[in-house]
Amino acid sequence: MPQQPQTSPAIPGKKTVRVPRVVNGLETMVEVEVDDVTGPGWGRNDQHTLLNHRLARVDGPVKVSGVAQYTHDVRLLNMLYGRLLRCPHAHARLTKFDSAAAARLDGVKAVIQAPMSEFRFSGSPVAAVAATTPELAEDAARAIVVEYEVLPHVVSAREAVKSDAPGVLTRNPKKPEENNLRAKDKRGDAAKVAAALATAAAVVEAEYLTPRIHHACLETHGMVVDYSGGDSATIYATTQGTFTIPADAADELGLPQSAVTATVQHMGGGFGSKFGIGVEGMLACRLAKEAKAPVKLMLTRHDEFVMTGNRSGSWQKIKAGVKEDGTLVALHATQYRLGGVGQGSQAAQPYSVYRAVDSYREVYALHTNEDSSIAMRAPGHPQASFAMESLLDELAHAIGMDPIALRKKNMPDEVYHRQLNRGAREIGWEKRNAVPSLGFGPLRRGMGCAAGIWGGGGNNQCKVEVTVSRDGSVLVAVGTQDLGTGTRTFTRAIVAEELGLQIRDVVEQIGSSKLGSANPSGGSTTAASLAPSLKDAAVKARLALAKTIAPLLGNSAPEEIVFSRGKLMAAGKAISWKQGCSALPAAGLTAHGEWREDLQGHGVHGVCFAEVEVDVETGKVRPIKMVQVQDGGLPLNRLTMESQINGGMIQSLGMAFWEGRVMDDRLGIQLNPGFGDYKLPGALEMPELVPIIDDEDKREVVIGIAEACIIPATGALANAVFNACGVRIRELPITPDKVLMGLLA
Amino acid sequence: MPYENDSEKDQAHPKHALNRRKFLSRVAVAGAGAALADHLSGLESVAASPIIDDFEKPIKGRITIALDVNDQKRPLTVEPRTTLLNALRNHLEPAVTGPKLVCDVGTCGACTVLMDGKPVYSCLILAVDATTKKLTSVEGLGIPERLNSVQQAFIDHDALMCGFCTPGFVTTISAYLKKNAKPTMDEIREACKGNFCRCGTYPRVFEAALAVARLPAVR
Amino acid sequence: MKEFEWIQATTLADAVIALASAPDANDIDEAARPLAGGQDLLTTMKEYVTRPSRVVNLKSIPGLDRIEEDNNGGLRIGCLVTLSQLEEHSVARRKFPGLIEAAHSIATQQIRNLGTVGGNLCQRPRCWYFRLEEVSCLKKGGSECFAATGENKYHAILGGGPCHIVHPSDLAPMLLALGASVSVDGASGKRIIPLDLFFTLPASGNIRRENVLENAEVITHIQVPISKFAHRSTYLKFKERDSLDFAMASVAGAIALGIEKEVTEARLVLGGVAPIPWRVPKAESFLIGKRITKEILATAAKIALEEAQPLAKNAYKISLTQTLVRRALAKVSGLSG
Repeated sequence: MPQQPQTSPAIPGKKTVRVPRVVNGLETMVEVEVDDVTGPGWGRNDQHTLLNHRLARVDGPVKVSGVAQYTHDVRLLNMLYGRLLRCPHAHARLTKFDSAAAARLDGVKAVIQAPMSEFRFSGSPVAAVAATTPELAEDAARAIVVEYEVLPHVVSAREAVKSDAPGVLTRNPKKPEENNLRAKDKRGDAAKVAAALATAAAVVEAEYLTPRIHHACLETHGMVVDYSGGDSATIYATTQGTFTIPADAADELGLPQSAVTATVQHMGGGFGSKFGIGVEGMLACRLAKEAKAPVKLMLTRHDEFVMTGNRSGSWQKIKAGVKEDGTLVALHATQYRLGGVGQGSQAAQPYSVYRAVDSYREVYALHTNEDSSIAMRAPGHPQASFAMESLLDELAHAIGMDPIALRKKNMPDEVYHRQLNRGAREIGWEKRNAVPSLGFGPLRRGMGCAAGIWGGGGNNQCKVEVTVSRDGSVLVAVGTQDLGTGTRTFTRAIVAEELGLQIRDVVEQIGSSKLGSANPSGGSTTAASLAPSLKDAAVKARLALAKTIAPLLGNSAPEEIVFSRGKLMAAGKAISWKQGCSALPAAGLTAHGEWREDLQGHGVHGVCFAEVEVDVETGKVRPIKMVQVQDGGLPLNRLTMESQINGGMIQSLGMAFWEGRVMDDRLGIQLNPGFGDYKLPGALEMPELVPIIDDEDKREVVIGIAEACIIPATGALANAVFNACGVRIRELPITPDKVLMGLLA
Repeated sequence: MPYENDSEKDQAHPKHALNRRKFLSRVAVAGAGAALADHLSGLESVAASPIIDDFEKPIKGRITIALDVNDQKRPLTVEPRTTLLNALRNHLEPAVTGPKLVCDVGTCGACTVLMDGKPVYSCLILAVDATTKKLTSVEGLGIPERLNSVQQAFIDHDALMCGFCTPGFVTTISAYLKKNAKPTMDEIREACKGNFCRCGTYPRVFEAALAVARLPAVR
Repeated sequence: MKEFEWIQATTLADAVIALASAPDANDIDEAARPLAGGQDLLTTMKEYVTRPSRVVNLKSIPGLDRIEEDNNGGLRIGCLVTLSQLEEHSVARRKFPGLIEAAHSIATQQIRNLGTVGGNLCQRPRCWYFRLEEVSCLKKGGSECFAATGENKYHAILGGGPCHIVHPSDLAPMLLALGASVSVDGASGKRIIPLDLFFTLPASGNIRRENVLENAEVITHIQVPISKFAHRSTYLKFKERDSLDFAMASVAGAIALGIEKEVTEARLVLGGVAPIPWRVPKAESFLIGKRITKEILATAAKIALEEAQPLAKNAYKISLTQTLVRRALAKVSGLSG
């Protein structure tokens, strides 16, 4: 390489910083090494020219016109269509597998048997086929002859918890007494808690249940494996982690990792479910390898429901008490994580927004013959929040205290107090009836509130490259992915703002494992990981360009040259951006950005207020209005941040009133594996939604907020239902049948 | 059961004899399969040569049809069971992939296209049943360089996130605003109720639609 | 979807022949099927619940997509009239408000733009056991109704057993209340069937079917007579999810009032609660001669549901449906509240 003096200055040294990492809902601090280069920070949140403004997303035009290419839209020459065969039994052993008839069918190019013979949930993939059209692939999958020895199963939590229930997993030899209920966590002093509860002014003991919630990504899982033999492959993946694809795909294809490129330009929803190649990706790779042709294997909607994971259900038995002034005195929780064959996830009680003087908890994984739960947007938090917020409301009701006042009493973090005041003002809390179910006629209004907490810090994985060409064009490249959160847009905006340009002056290149590394988008870590690297690269590019043009601006120091509105200015002189860039060498300049801990932060607070109307003669709940106040440091883009808050409220609304997997106990199958019976909220379900960015948060750091947004609304809505009609529903979703039976009871 | 006293009856059903014979000959000639022909010939004698009559040929297996998509006649090969959505995405070359396959049973709206100007779920119509219709997908409403007013409003109001439901919403709303240029919020919601979004863009979809309705009429 | 043979019929006679001459099916759900809007048929075919070897398109038959007024002021609705077309029909809007409400309550505009009146009456049940290919239930030739002791929140509280489906049509209860009949054409000729004889209970009819139609029979027209109560008709549908859902319960009600505002005629049909649209003659006759008051409504609602036998998870439907009965009758009688 010829010497390029314009590239980033030599790294003077490294330093170690501690950063938060959120794994399965649990935040832990880890030490990472970062470059010891500290440039200027973001500056005050209210003094940005692009950031913290309302920026139209840059991929808008291709998305609204159908031009954006999702994995589902990829069509390659000679591409085959893959299709899976699933096991219909909750627990079975394969006794016969004959694919001869399927392989003989017209257009069928490959048939692969899944590498296991015992299936522990209905929906387990048994085989995969590839054929020349989707129709033929469907025929082929159905032409495979399979026979099973059906084994005992259990899918109901209430059955699974029994010691003589059919065993879902093989017993742990170290704890042979454990069947489906496996101890995971136990802490606190139960006796002390019991003693404390005896002193409480009021005690509530209740069970809260949340069902399995499906991610319901509109684009199903799957990939297109572009491999026809030979020594390299490209994987088109619908993924939250571009870099989570190549290693596993290479392994399946028998290629070196460096020979496999993963690409994701646009993706239709992930919500925590799309990391790695998955079993469908493994099978797609094997099909391509066998057929020596590109294979597209996108799951059907039914596949998606029964085999790609879900938010784990929860069964939480909680007993807690308060003093007369509303102070929590103690809490005792027994919590079952309902993760099917998996471990499940659950934020432990007491939910960490609140403090309890004494607490005791036992946490178990309760296994059933269902697919493994996986991370879903704020794993564990909505479940824990719903239970805790319902419980607090019950306690407030028991002692006749305002629910906001009771919450404040137990919230050590003052930020929540400020947010509760704001939310209360927006929803009109003063109009709320203190006594539930007040009113005339069948329609009763009620209000509720709740709070959420999330980490949202970043980590040191993003390597950004900013290239400024001699014609003034700017390219920012990093292998990250945009899940619809707006990553492309802030990627451009950070670079453009630093260089005094407009969004349109910068082009981003993302979504390829051949670009600079980036972290997978999980735990709301993308913004806080990527934005600092972008800023770092942009600062370095600015300084490098400034150094080049300093002679044109009175030999000013690079740091003194101002980049603003397409002009470069210093010493009373100004040149245009293009003029400045024309001074660059032929190769232009390239700056490499690294993560800087000081540019990101963590700790997100949010509160939600909800108003609902209950028809007490039908049990129908109509959401009227929802307000969510959310902080998050420096808002990179107010428009997309508000959209995130809306999205969190709406998904939480779905969890409150409509969503939930329904299983048949005897058959061991899911009864609602489609959008007719698994009911997502639609246009007519929408209340007035008020997303509020908490600008009182003056932290000049970037923090991810996506997960935080989904946490509090479910509890707020459940509390609003109680306030409206006096019925406390402790098992989600809160459907008309439950409300009506509650009213009749 | 009461029978209808209708003079048509005798014309249409002289025990079906004539029609049945004509029909059977067509079925056999159309090569609907040996088993089928055997079965039919057991019922009626099959004429040796085709009889030209008013029956359409029975179709089985792969056939070539033409679809009128976004003002272009597009030939393609499908099977009778190929849905219009599948035909657009996987059988047309080059493909029309704006309409998305999401639920495949008419419960999400992502595959919405306009058929003679009216929104329909393209997953719930067979391609062979759409050959006489004028079809418009989101690609036919506007391109990135020349967006229609609904598409532009979607961007301005951030009425999209992952974007997978967006083509369906844009198509539905574009058609609706032609029918009702000045809708109320409630009318917009009603018009959108057959389109579902997982990211949670609804409020801004409504905003975008209302913003278009507030624009001065074009020409 | 299983491969099938596609025939575009151009006359009704052709369609009937094409259906009747299809190869013998091993199973009733493999018999040739007529296709109108396809909004239900195609879903059952994708789910392999219906696996026809032959599909006969009716939409290529001219003349069946019209709504005509008969000599007495009633309507004759062609089987291919779409639900959107019905909704927008000015005469129907004026004379049969309940029918318009019923049509409008169905699914979404996308579905109503293709879905037909004939197809709506012939749609298959939404029972999730029935709709899942891997479940062999009574309705599919199996030996058991899994809803009887399983997840039966959405199932029947009236007329159920041994199969516990509810009929999914929204038009059916309203058309039945209006005294409609269907014209049917088939291999053995044409017949007119009053709607109250059209739908069949699992216990007394063919459990594999929901109506009296033979395999090679199609509905060609629906006759809706004019009546004294047609203009005082309403359809109230309760959905768990308003945007897109079938009825958890619904009520089609119609009354005629005399000079003293007393009820002279009444029709009350419940939907979403029984395997057929469930008419409640006892509640109807209770109303005759009475002026509608809140007390009368309450009693009528009680009578309408007095035979209900809920399953483990659907007792709520009794109270819910009673509410709908009261509200429907209040609405058609002009009583507010």
